[in-house]
Amino acid sequence: MALLEVQGLTRHFGGVSAVSDLSFSVNEGEILGLIGPNGSGKTTVFNLVTGFLRPLAGAIRLDGQSVVGMRPHAVARRGIARTFQIVKPFPGLSALENVTLAAFLRHPARRDAEAAAALVLGRVGLGERLNEIASRLTLMDQKRLEMAKALATTPRLLLLDEPMGGLNATEVDNASELVHRIRASGVTVVLVEHVMKAIMKISDRVVVMNQGEKIAEGRPERVVEEPAVLAAYFGKHVA
Amino acid sequence: MTRALPAALLGVVVLAAIPLATRNSFFLHVCILVLMWTVLGAAWNVLGGFAGQVSFGHAALFAVGAYTTIILYLKCGLAPWWGIPLGGVAAALVSFPIGILCFRLRGPYFSLATLAVAEIIKLVALNWESVTAGSVGYLITSLPPVRLFGLNVNWESKTPFYTAAGALAVVALLATGWLRGSRLGAYLVAIRENEDAAEAVGIDTVRAKVVTLALSAFLAGMGGGFYAFYFRYVDPDAVAGISLSMEMVFIAVVGGLGTVAGPLIGAVFLTAVAEVVRGRFQTGHLIFYGLFMMLVIRFMPEGIWGRARRLTARAAAGE
Repeated sequence: MALLEVQGLTRHFGGVSAVSDLSFSVNEGEILGLIGPNGSGKTTVFNLVTGFLRPLAGAIRLDGQSVVGMRPHAVARRGIARTFQIVKPFPGLSALENVTLAAFLRHPARRDAEAAAALVLGRVGLGERLNEIASRLTLMDQKRLEMAKALATTPRLLLLDEPMGGLNATEVDNASELVHRIRASGVTVVLVEHVMKAIMKISDRVVVMNQGEKIAEGRPERVVEEPAVLAAYFGKHVA
Repeated sequence: MTRALPAALLGVVVLAAIPLATRNSFFLHVCILVLMWTVLGAAWNVLGGFAGQVSFGHAALFAVGAYTTIILYLKCGLAPWWGIPLGGVAAALVSFPIGILCFRLRGPYFSLATLAVAEIIKLVALNWESVTAGSVGYLITSLPPVRLFGLNVNWESKTPFYTAAGALAVVALLATGWLRGSRLGAYLVAIRENEDAAEAVGIDTVRAKVVTLALSAFLAGMGGGFYAFYFRYVDPDAVAGISLSMEMVFIAVVGGLGTVAGPLIGAVFLTAVAEVVRGRFQTGHLIFYGLFMMLVIRFMPEGIWGRARRLTARAAAGE
């Protein structure tokens, strides 16, 4: 059975359909890339899965159990963690304090939570910056911090919303390596990304969306050759 | 934290020494006001300072406490030391529906909703005459004869009220200190910093806010209960007016948002300024009061205590 199953997921904003009748599944231990042109509904999918938005229709199951209608904190408790495309640190707090707040979910005692947080910060490469105020970190480090917060909730499934957006080539390589290490530690990853080269390299499978619908799914090198995908990205004439 | 304990003990000693050192009843009256405002500022601070939820309607909770206490005394003969905590409990109970309604909204919309709730409570107090006596209000003509440690308590002196206000202020500041070190306190700071991010890492933000509002309401309600016994008169304008809500905000802001001692410092300064300018200028004293507040907010947005703490931290780091 798949770790995450999404069936017939639908959500409109006014008359605009952001996601319509979307179905896909994520297998335990894989890295799934969710790609598509701007405005194709990728972030909305994350918001629906994590409870920040309610679907109008459809099912979302983690390990066979529905998470539809749960508030975000309850979804996090079930084991789905997410990052935000525009990072949302607790700006006035130190990196350690940021991650400790997330670690409280599994470690009620402050000392345990802080120890767990320091460990996670080390894993994402922020071991030297524990006491840095979050708002003073570089964008790359804020993205790492965002991942550390998500990881500190010890998720089974991690949803990363453009973890490489705005990073330079070296930083993208570092971030890719980090995603691989996260998967190696036993966390399943779904990744929304605009940096095509990166996502093609690190994803086991990709789901391509356009205007709220799934238009292709499969191994990255196959998917990029499909006419529907080419049409969505480059226009019909190229295809 | 290591320096907080001696400071707190010193504070309690000073608190206990004041009525022994002076027989000036006006000075004691001012001290009582400071302590009462400390309780109210602290009540507002746990929600507004720590969780960043700016309430403009805390007078509603104060009013519920004041009415509960005075009605229990006048109609059931319940003594103040039961009535005041029960006033706090009543305010906490009333806070649950208020929280569930208002916390659906964020930021300025939350603030406006609390303002509306306070007006509703005031209108209820004005019109539900069978319970609240409407605009006539309630008056306490005599307080119960009490013997404590073999002595008759003299209600005409300020000392019993000073003791009660002091005890409430200590409770309020201890509660704030506990909150700052607790997991709930950490959650509140997360909510203040970024509510979505707090939810995303598994913090039940609505529950944290509702629980905090209840704590805040309990303190504000006890402040209201104390007010009822000290001033012996409760009517809607006195206990449910918007100026009361604002005063609580000012004390917390001037003292230092999200600090433990801030409300005490804010209450000392604002009460002192209010009394001094009221003495000097019969008319228009509120202008000076407002001016003082503007200067603090302009030049010390982190509050007097917040600024003092930053300066001492810098001095310690410079050594």
